[in-house]
Amino acid sequence: MQRAELAEVVRERVAGVLGVPVEEIDESTDLRQTYGVDSLELMEIGARLENSLNTRLAAEDLLGMENIGNAIDLLHERLRERP
Amino acid sequence: MTGRIRVAVTGVGVRTPAGNDVKELIDRLAEGRSTAATVPAFVAHDLAVTFACRVPEFDHTPYVTLRELRQLDRTTYLAVAAATDAVAAAGLKPLPDPEQVGVSVGVGAGGLVAAEELVGEYGDRPTRVPAYTVPRMMANAAAARVAIRIGARGPALTYVLACASGAAAIGEAMQKIRCGELAVVVAGGSEAPISPVAVSSFARMRAMSERNDAPEAASRPFDAARDGFVMGEGAAFLVLENWTHARSRGAEILGELLGYGANSDAHHIVAPRPDGAVAANCMRRALTDAGLTPPQVGHVNAHGTSTPHNDLAEALAIVDCFGSDGPPVTASKGVLGHSLGAAGAVEAVVTLLSAVSGAVPPVANFVRGDETTELIDVVSGGPRLITPKPALSNSFAFGGHNVSLVFAPAADGEGR
Repeated sequence: MQRAELAEVVRERVAGVLGVPVEEIDESTDLRQTYGVDSLELMEIGARLENSLNTRLAAEDLLGMENIGNAIDLLHERLRERP
Repeated sequence: MTGRIRVAVTGVGVRTPAGNDVKELIDRLAEGRSTAATVPAFVAHDLAVTFACRVPEFDHTPYVTLRELRQLDRTTYLAVAAATDAVAAAGLKPLPDPEQVGVSVGVGAGGLVAAEELVGEYGDRPTRVPAYTVPRMMANAAAARVAIRIGARGPALTYVLACASGAAAIGEAMQKIRCGELAVVVAGGSEAPISPVAVSSFARMRAMSERNDAPEAASRPFDAARDGFVMGEGAAFLVLENWTHARSRGAEILGELLGYGANSDAHHIVAPRPDGAVAANCMRRALTDAGLTPPQVGHVNAHGTSTPHNDLAEALAIVDCFGSDGPPVTASKGVLGHSLGAAGAVEAVVTLLSAVSGAVPPVANFVRGDETTELIDVVSGGPRLITPKPALSNSFAFGGHNVSLVFAPAADGEGR
């Protein structure tokens, strides 16, 4: 999956959990600072990404997903590592 | 009775099929007009019962954000809205001492509908369940969310007694105030059981009316032509407060919670004991607790489900307790349907307000009793105007759990 395509999936899933338009979420969005995301919401974002990307994500990876750009980079790497 | 801590009601909040504030509820009850209507999803599923009494939609923004709303099932959502309204009505924002404020919630089935949705959606692919699943479904979700929403840091307890849950939550909350443990308890019940599997589960027991061609005539407590209950939903909360605490902060006292009785039929898992003898004892317990004799009761708000067996046993119980010349009897489920764990709390609010106003609402669709139910004085046609007096509310549940509460108009002075 190309990074741009992945970025679109991440933004959509995050916007879905937060209940905001997808345009509000960009690579510089900080989920904790801007949206006060709690750990439960972060886990729900992870659950939805796992469903969409058909992969399993580690909890520590999810906790590191507060910055959307970093999250996309991390996921991009994890998906490339996949056999 | 002097020396006992008295318990004031200083605020109420409701979500009911008749409306989402107390005035709408009381006005609709006075009209005696049922709120039952066809539910399209039930028709689509070809259920034996295709109607219910639903709570009108309301704006969520004063209560929860859209983000929070996704984490709540409807039972919890209705609870948070009604409890928030009750606390605001009591003028308790902010809470004076959060450690002294408890939460007491009755739920019957709790997250049943959430479980139904979960299994329907993810039963064959359990790895895909949302991360919100546990906090959405856990039986204590409503109590916890209410505590969080209002900032109450006393105990937040959940009582599960099927259709008597809401009434038990109120009675047990009163005990916590009487023993001096808490100054305030936000107490009530909530239930949102209107879903195809939940309704079909009750219909399969043949406990529900199947009057699909005339839903508004289906719930008819104590009427000779009654043929089962009608599913409802809702939530109601009362702010119960140590009388002295309420007086010292200048709160308006709506009325007094005067008595609580609870016992068990120990007879059958769902059928009431046919002679109503244990239910009658439950009413006596509540009256004794209130320091009243039967003639001092102005009216009874019956459990009155509109099932053949409940109404028969309850009529006998009322005659057993009050004699053949007992007080007028009303039953809110004719208008509201049966909201299971919430019903006792909704009817507690109605009983309190009727005791204070002296206007006892009529029973919807009651035309005439059968040879047993005609032994009691069922209010029909329009409100019965009586002298404001203490009133008793019954909740009799699957499982044989009986609860009675006694409310009275506010009267000042040291004890009764």
